[in-house]
Amino acid sequence: MVIKTTVIDIIYRALQALNGELPADKQVPLDTQTRLFGPESTLDSLSLVSVIVDVETGIADDLGKTVSLTDDEAMTQQVSPFSSVDTLADYILKQLARG
Amino acid sequence: MVISENKQTLEGHYVNLRPLQVEDAELTFGWRQGARAILLNQGAQTVDQQARWIASRPASEYNFIIETKSHRHIGMLSLSGIDAVNRVGEPGRFLIGDEEGAQGLPAAAEAMKLLYELAFDRLGLRRVWGIVAEDNRRMVKWQTYLGMTREGCLREHLFINGHVQNAIIFGLLVSEYRRTTLPRLESLIAAAGLPVASVHPSE
Repeated sequence: MVIKTTVIDIIYRALQALNGELPADKQVPLDTQTRLFGPESTLDSLSLVSVIVDVETGIADDLGKTVSLTDDEAMTQQVSPFSSVDTLADYILKQLARG
Repeated sequence: MVISENKQTLEGHYVNLRPLQVEDAELTFGWRQGARAILLNQGAQTVDQQARWIASRPASEYNFIIETKSHRHIGMLSLSGIDAVNRVGEPGRFLIGDEEGAQGLPAAAEAMKLLYELAFDRLGLRRVWGIVAEDNRRMVKWQTYLGMTREGCLREHLFINGHVQNAIIFGLLVSEYRRTTLPRLESLIAAAGLPVASVHPSE
């Protein structure tokens, strides 16, 4: 069973890669409460896509599983998976649990 | 197929694309000097040059300012190189210049959706294409994620950000747009979790 910290580490790696391309004053904090998209978030659409691509790749590389983070199911969740690092990790775990 | 189209404002739920005007020269020149433009082709060197460049845009091009629903100007986007015979065009000059104004909004996603609707649905194009500097990794990921195919590489084609670099050629067919690009853009817009017709959260 995949534990949440493993998934959070993958998300943090994606954020670190993004931070490598952002200026010093636009760095995204590596924190479970970091807002990823929507109101109060620091990411724009381009940065969100960068994170989505890197997280999907990280899940495939590290866990040998495929997840889709922008399918219809993701978009119809009551709480958007992109509300925070924590909600994204929970959504990924839910997808992984279903195999 | 309709190739000629009045240059009107294209209205989305969160942003509009309104035609670029000479009066936008100072604003757009400022954006082009910003850190986010460092991986784009070098543009005008003065506001006057920028104004002349805007004034000299051919009628066949669509050059837009991206604005929020409360008319805050946050970026620019174009559709140029329109070939009515072969029905191809080139989206480009894509820049979110006011990051703060775009924060929290699916601005880039909806702006691209509006531009692709113009290209494929209104103008009847069957293919769009463009080049991206290899160093511009976020844009490379963006175009790939949105269904564009990497069709080639122009080796050492660009001198950007102080060094020579490759240009990656991306292309998108209308069938790929409908199958992949449009659903993904709509997902990204939905991902913002904002109510339709919301204005910028800080406004």
